[in-house]
Amino acid sequence: MKQRLLSMLVLCVLLIGSAYAQNRQVSGTVTSATDGTPISGVSVRVVGTSTATQTSGDGSYTISVPDNNGSLSFTYIGYQSFQTAIGTRAVINVQLASDDETLDEVVVTGYMVQSKKDFTGASAKVSGETVANRPLQSFTQGLTGQASGVNIIQPSGVLNNPPVVRVRGLSSLSLSSFPLVVVDGIPISTGDVSENSAANNPLGDINPEDIESVDILKDAASTAIYGSRGAAGVLLITTKRGKAGAAKVSYDGWFGSSKAVRLAELMNAEQYIAHKNNAIKNAREINPKLSTASYPVDGGFFPTLDANGNPVDTRWYDFVYDTGISHNHNLSVSGGNEATKYFFSGNLSDQDGILVKNSFKRKGVRANIDHKVTDWFKLGANLNFTNSANNSPNSGSVAGAAFNTSGLGRIAMVQAPNVPGYLPNGDYNVTGSSIGKGANVLAPNYPNPLPIRDLDKNSSETNRFFANINSTFNLLDGLTLNNNFTWDLRNTNNQQFWNPINGDGYSFNGYAYNNSAKSNNWVVLNSLVYNKSFGDHNLVVLAGHEAQSTRVENWGGVRYDLTDWYFNQYQGNFLTNDAGGNGIGENRIQSFLTSLNYNFANKYYFTANFRRDGLSALAAGKKWGNFGGVSAGWTISQEEFFKSSSLANVVSNLRLNASWGRVGNSAISNSYGSFDIYDPTIYGNAGGMIFTQAGNRELGWETSDQTNFGIDVGFLDNRVSLEASYYNKDHNGLILAVPQTPSKGIPGNSILMNIGSMYNRGFEFALNVRAVQKENFKWTTTLNFSTNKNEVTALDNEGRPLIATTAGLETTSITEVGKSAAQIYAVPTNGVNPANGRRIFINRDGEEVQYLHNAPNTEGFYSYSYLDGTRAAGVAGDAVAAGNTLPTYFGGFNNNFQFGNFDATLNFTFSGGNYIYNGTRAGLRDQRIWNNSVDMLDSWTPENKNSDIPRAIYGDNISNGSAFAIQSNIEKGDFIRLQTASLGYRLPSSIFGKSGISSLRVYAAVNNAFLITKYTGVDPEISSNGDGNLNSGVERNSMPNGRTFTFGINLGF
Amino acid sequence: MRRFKIKNKIVGLLVLTPLLFSTVSCKKDFLELAPEISIPSEFVFSSADRIESQVAGIYSSIKNGQFYGGRYLIYNDIRSEEFVNQRQNNVTGYSTYQFSNDETDSYVADFWIRGYLTINRINIFLEGIEEVGTDILPADKKSQLVGEVKFVRALTYYSLVQLFAKPYAADNGASKGIPLRLLAERNSENNDLPASPVKDIYSQIIKDLNEAEAAVPATYGDATTQSTRAHKNTVIAFKSRVYLAMKDYAKVISESNKIVSATAPFKASTGVPHQLAPAIKDVFTNYTINERILSFPFEANNAPGTQNQLGYYYNEGNIEYSLSPDGIFGSASWPTTDDRKKEMTAKSSDGKLNLLTKFSGASPFLDWIPAIRYSEVLLNLAEAEAEAGSQVRALALLKAVRNRSDAAYTFPASPSKATLVEAILLERRIEFLGEGLRVPDLQRRNMPINSEGAGRLVQPNDERYTFPTPLVEIITNPGVNN
Repeated sequence: MKQRLLSMLVLCVLLIGSAYAQNRQVSGTVTSATDGTPISGVSVRVVGTSTATQTSGDGSYTISVPDNNGSLSFTYIGYQSFQTAIGTRAVINVQLASDDETLDEVVVTGYMVQSKKDFTGASAKVSGETVANRPLQSFTQGLTGQASGVNIIQPSGVLNNPPVVRVRGLSSLSLSSFPLVVVDGIPISTGDVSENSAANNPLGDINPEDIESVDILKDAASTAIYGSRGAAGVLLITTKRGKAGAAKVSYDGWFGSSKAVRLAELMNAEQYIAHKNNAIKNAREINPKLSTASYPVDGGFFPTLDANGNPVDTRWYDFVYDTGISHNHNLSVSGGNEATKYFFSGNLSDQDGILVKNSFKRKGVRANIDHKVTDWFKLGANLNFTNSANNSPNSGSVAGAAFNTSGLGRIAMVQAPNVPGYLPNGDYNVTGSSIGKGANVLAPNYPNPLPIRDLDKNSSETNRFFANINSTFNLLDGLTLNNNFTWDLRNTNNQQFWNPINGDGYSFNGYAYNNSAKSNNWVVLNSLVYNKSFGDHNLVVLAGHEAQSTRVENWGGVRYDLTDWYFNQYQGNFLTNDAGGNGIGENRIQSFLTSLNYNFANKYYFTANFRRDGLSALAAGKKWGNFGGVSAGWTISQEEFFKSSSLANVVSNLRLNASWGRVGNSAISNSYGSFDIYDPTIYGNAGGMIFTQAGNRELGWETSDQTNFGIDVGFLDNRVSLEASYYNKDHNGLILAVPQTPSKGIPGNSILMNIGSMYNRGFEFALNVRAVQKENFKWTTTLNFSTNKNEVTALDNEGRPLIATTAGLETTSITEVGKSAAQIYAVPTNGVNPANGRRIFINRDGEEVQYLHNAPNTEGFYSYSYLDGTRAAGVAGDAVAAGNTLPTYFGGFNNNFQFGNFDATLNFTFSGGNYIYNGTRAGLRDQRIWNNSVDMLDSWTPENKNSDIPRAIYGDNISNGSAFAIQSNIEKGDFIRLQTASLGYRLPSSIFGKSGISSLRVYAAVNNAFLITKYTGVDPEISSNGDGNLNSGVERNSMPNGRTFTFGINLGF
Repeated sequence: MRRFKIKNKIVGLLVLTPLLFSTVSCKKDFLELAPEISIPSEFVFSSADRIESQVAGIYSSIKNGQFYGGRYLIYNDIRSEEFVNQRQNNVTGYSTYQFSNDETDSYVADFWIRGYLTINRINIFLEGIEEVGTDILPADKKSQLVGEVKFVRALTYYSLVQLFAKPYAADNGASKGIPLRLLAERNSENNDLPASPVKDIYSQIIKDLNEAEAAVPATYGDATTQSTRAHKNTVIAFKSRVYLAMKDYAKVISESNKIVSATAPFKASTGVPHQLAPAIKDVFTNYTINERILSFPFEANNAPGTQNQLGYYYNEGNIEYSLSPDGIFGSASWPTTDDRKKEMTAKSSDGKLNLLTKFSGASPFLDWIPAIRYSEVLLNLAEAEAEAGSQVRALALLKAVRNRSDAAYTFPASPSKATLVEAILLERRIEFLGEGLRVPDLQRRNMPINSEGAGRLVQPNDERYTFPTPLVEIITNPGVNN
């Protein structure tokens, strides 16, 4: 019965179909696959005929079709075109997938927007969608693996810790290597604006959901228009603006949960007690004269019993790490008509990190309007207000904090596990500035993490106002005058409080440090653009003038010695008050710029840029510099000979590009580097001044010459496209903080000089394949792969290396001629002597030297000895460059799937060819009172002679690398990571009825899903020294990154 | 016609455009910015006040917590047998305590760096003041300021050569010393300079001190200045320390006699009237008392800085180091009747450790640094008299110091020379505990250091007997140790 009914139905459908077979109407709606919103203006065409129409404002269309055998094609700029057989259908609804890689896309190239066809430089575009709706604080984190030539490292799991961003390698040694970031035309500051443990990346002030696109300019021909500011590449952020059409309202929200991953496995209380007491025994055996106070004859560590009489076994990780819950909401309204377009958005992000009490909260509103006053006069304005609040306990995981005694990332590892956090009466277990020692005889030297976690406060809160007003006058046919004023006003309040009970604040009896920074940044840009075609000659000429001023005023104070422990804030009452965190700095830049773009018949392209920049921070007479670049392109596939060849059937696009340019680096953090300076000081009660800076009155521009060759090939109607390029960046006249012999007494032991050179070379490939394009199943895959070879070719006149430290304490890095910058600087090792368990080092003469801690320096028991037991000199000064820290290859492998109403992404990132100094391991194997990783249980003993871990001798901080860096802690940094995986479902629009809802998508995603690496530290993508040029590739006590699961919805009206 | 009019307006706008440009660009000085809260060098010799301000700056430079304002004293005490480390923290000298500090140790390197920074600041000052005319600075004032900074240079060189080079006593200064920098360094030249022999450094110290003695005033107007800046007796007192390090006992006697009377009660008869304070306690509560010849002052707005404060190291501040029972604290030669034990040591709050409480200030730890005390001059003189002069006077000087704190204590009436010298050295361990004289006292006699931290006697021929030249110096000045 059922079957019969079904066949009747089929028959009816067929009958209806045939009845309309001649010139019937087909209708439907075209929506965006990304967010389900209707797309108006889509060209709908019956293939092979002239019958065509466009979708209306709600995305609907009706078209008359001749028969059932034909096909319909749907095309729209910015989306992949789509073709489907009509068959018997009367309703054909289509979703178009956005297409970031099509040649129709535009490139924002500094001061202008160009069609990608006309662009002959090297750039990459990342759409706003890539960075939106993800558990990120700043868009930069979302660029990982998305663009060739762009390498991103998330330095630790602290929220809003600024990522390390390198475009085509390390671009400077002493100036910033972070690319210039331009938001809607204004270059803004980068770095970390916090004064305390709460990281505060000013780029986190930009709501990622407000970003339309990120254009990354990589070669000099593209960045030359930024002149002195383009050496490290340029990230151009374009924020969303209104589009003509009915008002569109959309809401995006997600909820997420993060957890710490890859924490090192530590000894428990029982293992700790046995191991440390054994280490004391070993030490006394070697040197019986050791102080019994520090090396007790009967051991130093004993079980502490809790109130129930059970031995205490504390897993400190459980007190420091927690599941971080986050949520994010974004609401926007956009619309307008041909004359006036508007966009409003509001955003709230409330994120908690994996570290307890680490949070990031951002609230922001944005409004912009574009209005055509007359046919020759347009006005636009953009207003954005953001409040970003960063809170964190001392993680020890922001740049420079690696050795903080109160760094929770570190204490959670090294704190003794056999003492409790709380005493039985509920008080914190403390003695002086450290944790209480329980039943141990020897006293721990680290604080109790609980009062630090609970009572210390670090916050950095920014209020930021961006405003832009711009006007465009059409003066003559093709000639426009653009005037632009942008204002970026930032107020950051940094607040710090250290409790008087334990930790850093103990000896101060409570300590508070507040600082307020006002950054007033404005830029004025006026430009004339002439854009005209004469037959096959297409010409765009730009001339402009730009001036920017950035003034930062800091003021603050330090207060300590509380009068009452009731107070826990700066405003409380303290006995001592002092100035702190005061400063004024101002930087100005002024430029004259011009560019010429020309193409002939869309086949031959030529671009030239020239810019003259003046920078206040340089020496008088050296302030001005000239920069520029040229590039050319040849679209072979537009040539008749190509079109007529058989190759054209397969190769749909073939294009060659070449460019050369000279750009500069104006990212000088010292605004007054040319001056000899005296700073005020106080001696007792007398005011004084001291010489604090040897300036360079010759300080001039740092420049780099960059060459780029590129080829773009598209196959099968651009279904497969490949962009390949080769680049060579020669950085000349590097501004180098040239090390000065300390005995000369130059403040800071360095002088900024224009000396030094370096190159970066490499290949980049971006392969984009629309692998499957069925109506119900689409799969797009992109693979980007980049190589980079960095080599320093000259340093100061004497060719002496640059030495750098980790957190100012441990010498870990060296930069020398003939090698890549920031090599790991470690003393070579050759395992452990199986005969006696001593660490074997290789000294500068290539000899094996073994080390014995606390040696009595008697015959056979020397600190340093040759393997035959004769006395040898120490090896600490025998470090060598022992490993490249800059990845030599990296990339991303990104997949988008769409099947029916489902969509999915799988984005992998990978990187390698570099080494990491795993300094955390030195700490985990340190034989002082610190807890150790469980691998120490496998250290050398007379019964376990083949271990590669030296014999445990109490107090030994040398054999495993705590005193100076050693080669055995160097590891390869190669990895592949599933960065994001997501699965979404778009509810069928039929269910919304008349509710007004036009689309609704729900999704689940995971960030940092898994990691495949042989690296044994917390994460191969780590940098305890943050964005440092000279000390990259070091992990020292940093907390790991988290794994985050998110669930979200995208709702459209 | 109408359109034409609009075009005219547009031409008008074109004319306006340069005006827009001019709002910022045509100001000639748009790019001319100077530091606002630092003083560019061209202004620093422009007035007498600013020149004097530079001298205060030079004093503040040597009293930096990383140098004489803390660590110079600390390093010279924790290397000895007197203290036990409690914190195992390299930042607070654990490696130095263990004699495992090597050339990469950044804190020891920082000590070197601070020392030479002070020296260069002085050299730059000396070069600059040369040109200053009497219209700006009276000649006598100029000569005084030059004398003062030369004294500071001598004190700095002495501190560096004592820690980083073999003692003068080892071979009359023939050993490799440290680089002798006397030129004002402001540019990238002169990176290379080999270390001069120890004796050349000492010659320079003596030269500076002789010139300083002639130039500095006998007294200052107020007690604070008198205690914190160099006057004639300061220079003389320090010369007695330097000559003692050179084992030039005759000079120790002749210099000391300028400020020590022939017989008890010993006191200085010219200049600032130095003498022993009646009670040792007063010396560490009243920083401008006459016994304190030179102190480095601290106030809340110029505190020693974290992890440099004496009270933080030895007292309840953080108890980085407690008194070792194996050291002088546990010695029978230091009876409990002695005020220095009764009043300047105590049990820790948990009753388990013995602490040196001489530096009693809590946060912000404003105990002034006792750089030179009159009791040191007396014991310097006593040692020289015992070695090469009057044993009777030597004993009298020793008694003056001991009996001030322990009136009942009696020395043998006429001890042998060796016993007397030993007693004087022992007295110094008690009197100057925590004041940074223990290791120099051993080194100047080329004696082994009995290290609590290393658990051994560190012999004078041990490479760790003195600090190694920091790696940062070797890298930019590879010939320094040649």
